[in-house]
Amino acid sequence: MRRLLLCLVVVFVLVLPLWGNNYIIRLTTMMMLYSVLSLSWNFIGGFAGYPSFATASFFGLGAYSGAISQVHGVPMFLAWPVGGLVAALFAAALGLAILHLRGHYFAIATLVVAEVLREIVNSWTDLTGGGMGLNLPILRLDVNAQARLFYFSMFVLAIMTVIAASYVSKRRLGFGLRCIKQNEDAANMIGINTTVYKTTAFVLSAVFVGCAGAFYASWVNYIEPGDVFEVLLSVKPIVMVLLGSSGTVIGPVLGAVVFLFLEEMVWRNFLTFHAGVLGLLIVALVLFLPGGLLGLYFRRVFHWKESR
Amino acid sequence: MLIAQIIVNGLVLGGLYACIASGFSLVWGVLNIINILHGSFIIIGSYVAYFAYNYLGIHPFLSVTIAAIVLFLFGYLIQAGIINRVVAAPVLTTLTLTFGLELLVNNSLLAAFKADYRKVILENPLGVIDMGGIIVPLDRLATMVLALILTGLLYWVLNASRIGRAIVAVRMDREAAALMGVKVKQIYAITFGLGAVMAGAAGSVMSVIFPISPLNNILFLGKAFVICVLGGLGSVPGAMIGGLALGMIESFGGLIFGPEHAMTLAFSLLILLLIFRPTGIIGKRGYQ
Amino acid sequence: MNKISSKNITILALLIFACFTVLSIGKVAESSENVIRVGAPLPLTGPLSPEGKKQVEGYDLWAETANKAGGVKVGNQRYRVEIVYHDYQSNTPRAVQLAEKLITEDKVHITFSPFGSGATKAASGVSEKYGIPTMAATASSEEVYNQGYRYLFNTFTPNQTLTEPLSDIVKERLPNAKKVAILARNDLFPLAIANVMNDSAKKRGFDVAFFEKYAIGTMDHASALTLIRAAKPDWIFATGYINDLILIRKQMGDLGISASVVTMIAGPAYKEFVDATGPLAENVTSASWWHPAVRYKGEDVFGTTENYNKMFEKKYGRVPDYAQASASAAGAIFQVAIEKAGTLDRKKIRETLAGLEVLTFWGPIKFGSTGQIISLKPPVFQIQNGTQVVIYPSEIQQAEFRVGVK
Repeated sequence: MRRLLLCLVVVFVLVLPLWGNNYIIRLTTMMMLYSVLSLSWNFIGGFAGYPSFATASFFGLGAYSGAISQVHGVPMFLAWPVGGLVAALFAAALGLAILHLRGHYFAIATLVVAEVLREIVNSWTDLTGGGMGLNLPILRLDVNAQARLFYFSMFVLAIMTVIAASYVSKRRLGFGLRCIKQNEDAANMIGINTTVYKTTAFVLSAVFVGCAGAFYASWVNYIEPGDVFEVLLSVKPIVMVLLGSSGTVIGPVLGAVVFLFLEEMVWRNFLTFHAGVLGLLIVALVLFLPGGLLGLYFRRVFHWKESR
Repeated sequence: MLIAQIIVNGLVLGGLYACIASGFSLVWGVLNIINILHGSFIIIGSYVAYFAYNYLGIHPFLSVTIAAIVLFLFGYLIQAGIINRVVAAPVLTTLTLTFGLELLVNNSLLAAFKADYRKVILENPLGVIDMGGIIVPLDRLATMVLALILTGLLYWVLNASRIGRAIVAVRMDREAAALMGVKVKQIYAITFGLGAVMAGAAGSVMSVIFPISPLNNILFLGKAFVICVLGGLGSVPGAMIGGLALGMIESFGGLIFGPEHAMTLAFSLLILLLIFRPTGIIGKRGYQ
Repeated sequence: MNKISSKNITILALLIFACFTVLSIGKVAESSENVIRVGAPLPLTGPLSPEGKKQVEGYDLWAETANKAGGVKVGNQRYRVEIVYHDYQSNTPRAVQLAEKLITEDKVHITFSPFGSGATKAASGVSEKYGIPTMAATASSEEVYNQGYRYLFNTFTPNQTLTEPLSDIVKERLPNAKKVAILARNDLFPLAIANVMNDSAKKRGFDVAFFEKYAIGTMDHASALTLIRAAKPDWIFATGYINDLILIRKQMGDLGISASVVTMIAGPAYKEFVDATGPLAENVTSASWWHPAVRYKGEDVFGTTENYNKMFEKKYGRVPDYAQASASAAGAIFQVAIEKAGTLDRKKIRETLAGLEVLTFWGPIKFGSTGQIISLKPPVFQIQNGTQVVIYPSEIQQAEFRVGVK
């Protein structure tokens, strides 16, 4: 039964390009991108309980490394893994430096890293184009074919992320991360190597996001530091996971779908007040729906007393 | 000569920064909440001063009191009505909540006042003093002095008044304070209100030198972060030291690395401090 | 939950299906009357909204004027002009998204670019992909046009055409001037024009004693200005958008900085700059691609420059500056091209534009091989006694260049 339903969703997504116009395709591609971001955040934020605002850093790094590779002749499909790799390496290094921080300090450190990266990219004009942005070579391909190419590529990336999340969730890594979330000191005492586990989660939260960033650069053909290092890129995945329910595998995807839908609706109807409505949504979410939508469905009671 | 001017620039900026950060530091230290709204509070204070000056003729330095009242009410209500519900929740929840509130408030400001930059243009500008080649614009100097006075006032309130002592008590040990009869939730609301007051007052005072626009919120917030980590949390003297330090760092950093790197410099310093010395320059978490 | 449960999947599937159904409803019905739809993605909210609003004024004036005159002639039919606006909130990725939406959903025939070189460059990829003739009314930097695109045209000549005449004037009037200080906003256009200024100055033997960038959103320029003061330049050149330049000019005043020449691009053209800086604006120089004082007898729907100024003043109650005029010009040029091509076929419109040579109220129009206009003679002007006066070119010169800014 489960497999059948999964197949149905997959088939639906695969078949969409047949009747959807380019705008719908673009929207769905965006939805899958958001899923990748929220699933990735879930590794470090949902499973391990570390409030990471580093998604923007990874996305931006992936976008720029992918873009710069492409500008220097690397073929597009290779540039994407390059983005993922760069982001992963950065996450490993950063993780070792700041994962010993807890709570607020960790959050701030990750928030600020994106700003620093943005400024570095902004200033390194020779390599990155600085404030003038970077243009990627456009594909000399028919527009419709292009839309579908990107659509299916993102689909592959999204599936990979889901599989990774599912795998981690079932295995020792997931168990260990959940222990860390509950009580890190206790986890340490029972023999879980928290540094390795946390760093792994952090790297996982970066690698797919980095690929997505490189993908994004190829997709829109032009990136600017302000766009790809934007702080909202770190906040939205968190909201999506909170919306869907953290710690599950489908939760983040659900959250991404609903979030994008809301975003589109809000954008069409509330011209000057999008951010405000998003804010309202966040407040409502935190106050009234702490377990996310799935939590609502199952009427789970989530405990607030977490170790800090 | 150039160095002297840079030092003066740094000090003048630093006094302002101290005022901006003191409220933020208080809220973080006592409630353990990072108030993302802080930047917008500052901007509201600036708008209060702007409208008070242009429609009522009240000098921005005087409308500090109006801004203080407005913001105290606003802050108190937000804490009492919204944040208090989740005040014991994990960091992620409270941070996301204040983030959401900030989006709401900031967007409302944008919708109400538009993104255009406004400036309070004083009828009688204060001019500049020229001390042997070092030029200090008087309005900046006045702003800095006022900012320091306000910060001093906060310090005095925390030490000398009953409410102030209650706040410190809650900060030290919530349960014990509750057992002593302190209404913790109310103290939280008052503290948040006080934080808002400091922000609004700073905004009011700064309206004569900085352009006013809802778009500046992130700038102020970023500086507040750095100052708190530099100076230590929950401590007014800490905010003072952190503020002055940041002012100097930006001023000298501008000289050495170029003006466009000032903020990056500050943030890089922040990260380094977080990695190696999270408790700040002072080295301990102060209680006042 | 440890595994992907079937209940979760059901919810997900149902939700996705519901979302798509609702989103598909919002499609635009195609109208059958004779309308030319022009797409205009603009920053109507956010930091660039003042600039976005000026564009709206310019586009609306063109649409109104064209429609009042009976519409655009396509062959032997008359078409009404309809401008489709979308707000991208000063956020470049949204601008790109909207550009695509305008083409695929709103089914526009032609488009205007978003505001500024950065967003124009970003969105130009979309119009190139779809083959939609696009007119950029606010993008001058050559970097925007170096992609080899064929469907992008614009109304601003390259940045050198602003800095070269200016440098000539300064060199001629102040032969003893040696040092130049340049302060640039770290953004596509302001940085590009600062770089070009750097070249123009060096070419004439000036010593560029200071050249620094400031971050977008800088609120305090004291450190940069202190360094500039220490360098004692004869000529200070600052770039940015109006809010930045007002702030810089004021802080220059605070710090007691004076120089023989102070040039700022791109604020002083606007009345708002003069209003906000008061006596500090005196003798500040600037250059732009158009000024209400130019006099051209155009073949476009506006006709003469004086007529354009009159119509603008009638509708909005004030004198136009180059921003609104550029937007109107973008529309007027499109109209000339469509009427000449006699068809709405995009390829033909593009070809007509590429070979176009016509005089308009904006100036002579001819596009180079990159699509950028090459035929303008941008005026240099100075603020004297609280108003902008043209000091170059000689055909429309209104006053002499004055030295010394306090």
